[in-house]
Amino acid sequence: MSPRGRAPDRAQWPEPAIQLRSWSTAALALSCAVGLAAFCWPLLVAPGAGLAHATDAPLILGAVLACVLVVVHLALVDGGMDVKAVALLGLLSAVGAALRPLSAGTAGVELVFTVLVLGGRVLGAGFGFALGATTLGVSALLTGGVGPWLPFQMLGAAWVGLGAGLLPRAPRGRLEVAMLAGYGAVAAFAYGTAMNLSFWPFTLGADTALSFVPGAPLGDNLRRLLAFTAATSLGWDLGRAVTTAVGVALVGAPVIALLRRAASRARFVTPEPRHAEHRATRRASGATFE
Amino acid sequence: MISVERVSVTYPGQSHPAVHDVDLEIPEGELCLVVGPTGSGKSTLLRTISGLVPHFSGGTLAGRVVVAGRDTRTHRPRDLADAVGVVLQDPARGFVTETVTDELVYAMEQLGLPRAVMRTRTEEVLDLLGLADLRDAPLRDLSGGEQQRVAIGAVLTAHPQVLVLDEPTSALDPPAADDVLAALTRLVHDQGMTVVLAEHRLERVVQYADLVVAVAADGTVSHGAAGDVLGPGSAAPPLVELAAVAGWRPVPLSVRDARRRVAPLRDRLTAARTREVLPGPGRAVLTARGIQVRHRRAHAVRGVDLTLAAASVTAVMGRNGAGKSSLLWALSGAGPRSAGSVTLGPEPGQDPAALDAAAARRLVALVPQDPTDLLYLGSVGAECRAGDTQAAVAAGTCAQLLERFAGPVPAQAHPRDLSEGQRLALVLAVQLAADPLVLLLDEPTRGLDYAAKRALVAVLAQHTARGGAVLLSSHDVEFVAQCADRVVVMSDGVTVTDGPARDVLVASPTFAPQVAKVLHPVPLLTVAEVREALAAAR
Amino acid sequence: MHPAAWWVWAAGVVVLAGRIHAPQALAALAVAACVLATAGRRQGAPSFAGYVALALGIVAVRVVFHVLVGIKTPTGRVLVDLPSWHPAWAPGVQLLGPVTTTGLGTAAAQGLALAVMVLAVGAAATASSPARLLRSLPAALHHLATAAVIAVGVAPSLVAAVAAARRARRLRGLTTRGPRAIAHAAVPVLADALDRALDLAASMEVRGYARRSGPGDRRVGPALAGAVLAAAVGTYGLLAGAPAYAVPALSLGAALAVAGASLAARGQARTRYREDPWGYREWCAAGAGAMTGVAGVAGLPLLATAIALLGLLALLPARLPAEVSV
Repeated sequence: MSPRGRAPDRAQWPEPAIQLRSWSTAALALSCAVGLAAFCWPLLVAPGAGLAHATDAPLILGAVLACVLVVVHLALVDGGMDVKAVALLGLLSAVGAALRPLSAGTAGVELVFTVLVLGGRVLGAGFGFALGATTLGVSALLTGGVGPWLPFQMLGAAWVGLGAGLLPRAPRGRLEVAMLAGYGAVAAFAYGTAMNLSFWPFTLGADTALSFVPGAPLGDNLRRLLAFTAATSLGWDLGRAVTTAVGVALVGAPVIALLRRAASRARFVTPEPRHAEHRATRRASGATFE
Repeated sequence: MISVERVSVTYPGQSHPAVHDVDLEIPEGELCLVVGPTGSGKSTLLRTISGLVPHFSGGTLAGRVVVAGRDTRTHRPRDLADAVGVVLQDPARGFVTETVTDELVYAMEQLGLPRAVMRTRTEEVLDLLGLADLRDAPLRDLSGGEQQRVAIGAVLTAHPQVLVLDEPTSALDPPAADDVLAALTRLVHDQGMTVVLAEHRLERVVQYADLVVAVAADGTVSHGAAGDVLGPGSAAPPLVELAAVAGWRPVPLSVRDARRRVAPLRDRLTAARTREVLPGPGRAVLTARGIQVRHRRAHAVRGVDLTLAAASVTAVMGRNGAGKSSLLWALSGAGPRSAGSVTLGPEPGQDPAALDAAAARRLVALVPQDPTDLLYLGSVGAECRAGDTQAAVAAGTCAQLLERFAGPVPAQAHPRDLSEGQRLALVLAVQLAADPLVLLLDEPTRGLDYAAKRALVAVLAQHTARGGAVLLSSHDVEFVAQCADRVVVMSDGVTVTDGPARDVLVASPTFAPQVAKVLHPVPLLTVAEVREALAAAR
Repeated sequence: MHPAAWWVWAAGVVVLAGRIHAPQALAALAVAACVLATAGRRQGAPSFAGYVALALGIVAVRVVFHVLVGIKTPTGRVLVDLPSWHPAWAPGVQLLGPVTTTGLGTAAAQGLALAVMVLAVGAAATASSPARLLRSLPAALHHLATAAVIAVGVAPSLVAAVAAARRARRLRGLTTRGPRAIAHAAVPVLADALDRALDLAASMEVRGYARRSGPGDRRVGPALAGAVLAAAVGTYGLLAGAPAYAVPALSLGAALAVAGASLAARGQARTRYREDPWGYREWCAAGAGAMTGVAGVAGLPLLATAIALLGLLALLPARLPAEVSV
């Protein structure tokens, strides 16, 4: 059973599951700009803008974000994607989606981010981005979380995966797990805050002391937002951050080992998009002919 | 149709080739059987034919493989999809869609065939494989045999000239395996398809094979007619061994052939047979009364009474879905039990379900159908150490047991990289470390080769020799014939037959081992018994 | 029916549910979703009971959290006057406090709105397969649609696998509770999922997945990057209140995206077996959904609710012959 046989000791860093190329990197960076604007709209919006009505902005920006997500994914897989990466993306999204209902409702317990952080770390930034978005999308399809917030959630989770893939490569062993646990806590907390920021006017309505006031000075709105966050979701966000960190600390080492084993067995091939597909395939997959 | 010229395959990071210097020519319309022990490179050879090696799994391929006129150097597996149909080991793991029809058309969609063609071919395949009633059924509700036939159908719709299958019957009960094999022989005989299949349980398929390719443990390959390639030894079906004992030449490959020649041997055996002294029933170590198990939808076990005697092996047999697994889980105390009682030991009798997990496992050990469920650590050594702690035994006990069961296994290896036999041995070592009274095994022979099965028989013998009781469920009649004292046949959640293994196996048309079928009415089950009887006659 | 029809209906109901607060209307929508899930259930659909449980759970969680940490406004009749507590470690958080009819009603209604969203999407998922919907995505999204189809198909069996791994822990004499137990149960499941991904990939590969007839197009990358750039410009335009350049920029982005996607889809030989016809029943369900959404956004909750209920008429032609034949 040699194909499933002992995994050879390969280089510590296997090929990333989705290779970032120049155009896809550009699309990814630009999408971050769009996303940033969409998440921070209450702080950026001009007083007279049509978007200032609290309930419409998330819907319209959500639609824009959904389209941007689709386009970025197209750019990521332009020219083809290794079938193993497709299958792995599907299976890991399923793992995330299967964990999500387990944790939904229990005060911020979100195990999804553990999967995203570890997956992004081992399989690369591009894969982490795709994994974050598909995991949240699939779990929304399965458990009923489709709504205007879905594109925001998908983009937020995609960033969590992307960031994990961009962390410094050097740390190994306990240090690596500690770094990932720390990153996971920060990223999960930032995710909650960002979601809060973009949906704060939507959730709270307009007639409380903590509500968003369009066009008010940045500092004022920020203070109201902080108060709102502290009053409502702080516990959840902290809970999510703690669960993610604890999850990474508990299963980090064995799961990283598993993912590395899978990645080195998979030998991802990202076919060159334009020319000489066969040659590239052979070189990257380690397949040679004598 | 398939020509393999001086092929060697070396995986990256390994010093020895997985298969070595293979020269093979498989003509059109033949059924070629690939045999060999686990880890010998059977799968590698099959994957070479489909181009998965080296395009998909990496490695170096020396030599040349040409399938249906296409060289695998220049054709990736996806480019061979319309020429070679490949069915991988576990069909359910290869399903991409959710319903039978969607799965059948998947390959044709990828090939870009027009819709009218797809419709015609789907209907053809549904009829050919007897799946017409299941066309809209969800794949996950199908039985193992049905799933296997869907997996075969899913590649047949691409109209390949070659069909490659990796252990298509290993997880199936005997009737389902017969259905699958009948479908395959129909393809070879009626459609002129070239079929290459790897299989552990030779007794099922060897009679249909035109050509047998034996892959040795060192990766070298020999091939020829079945009778020539399969000698008595490590990997031979019981018929071949029986032929060696009886001195039949050429070797008969089907029960029918053997029965034509059996008369003289049978006479000698009838004369030699001494009256067998049945041992009296041993002390009961587990008594179950009126066991019922209801799952959410199904009533899996409907009132089973069972007593396991000390120093005995009992086998539960029956179709897939007869309630065997549910019964084992209920007896272990770890699974659901909706009614009935389980008591351990003679007196005063404890119920394993009432004990806490750590105490229960010291009395009853269960090895589930997928033994890897029990393994959660990153290396064999870590699993052994955890096993020692959990069983509260001296450090090193598990490692010693593992070595006794499977020989040396590297402690730093990942449990998932072990062979099926080694993995089962590891789980057995972990579960037997606490020296439990009762050992329950759910389908332990899945994926095991003959050598691993012999090792398992030895482990069971050691356990019973110390007064333990074993209850196992199995489809593998030859294995049951070798090790069981008693056989219980279940159907639809109830016991239909319960008696000494010899009586039950000889009388059953589906569960009789080959030797019993050949020698009928002489009630001998294994070649070893035949040898003994002959020696006694001398 | 076409897999998209009920999703459009569900989307309309989701939009509406986010905008109404009347418990009666929300209850009517919840009933409508349940009717759809029972009467329009497709063969092999996962159980709808899970969605119902989730919906009830959401209402319960909302109410419980309102009682525990909700912001209590002094309106309505006080039901239970719990003592309030301001923990020093979380400034601004008030624990417990007087529970009023209004506060409780609002919390329940908010919960009900979310519950309706869950039920509507669940009903759509029960009536039409998400996997089939994903398969009708444009060709350029094939890889991602495939990954999503796999995920949707595999997730239920992974939930079962987690259960099996937890049961197996008992066999080793270990406890099945606590974070450590869950974490250890997750490891074999993940390991199996990873192995399974490779098996699945091999099975897809040998069946010709991702065969292409020609090389990719050089213009795809620039077109897509340009589309995102245009979207960025458009978004800032929206925020700055300058529709004069926001609208053209967003339109340009959409056009570039469509162009890039169709270029990327070239050279794929794939065909599809199932054509999903779009007939009057699809128009009925999807039309009702679209109108529900529009009426909801326009601030006509009663009309919107009525339209959503009318959309269920699309179920009738499918049910009538079946009942006549019984």
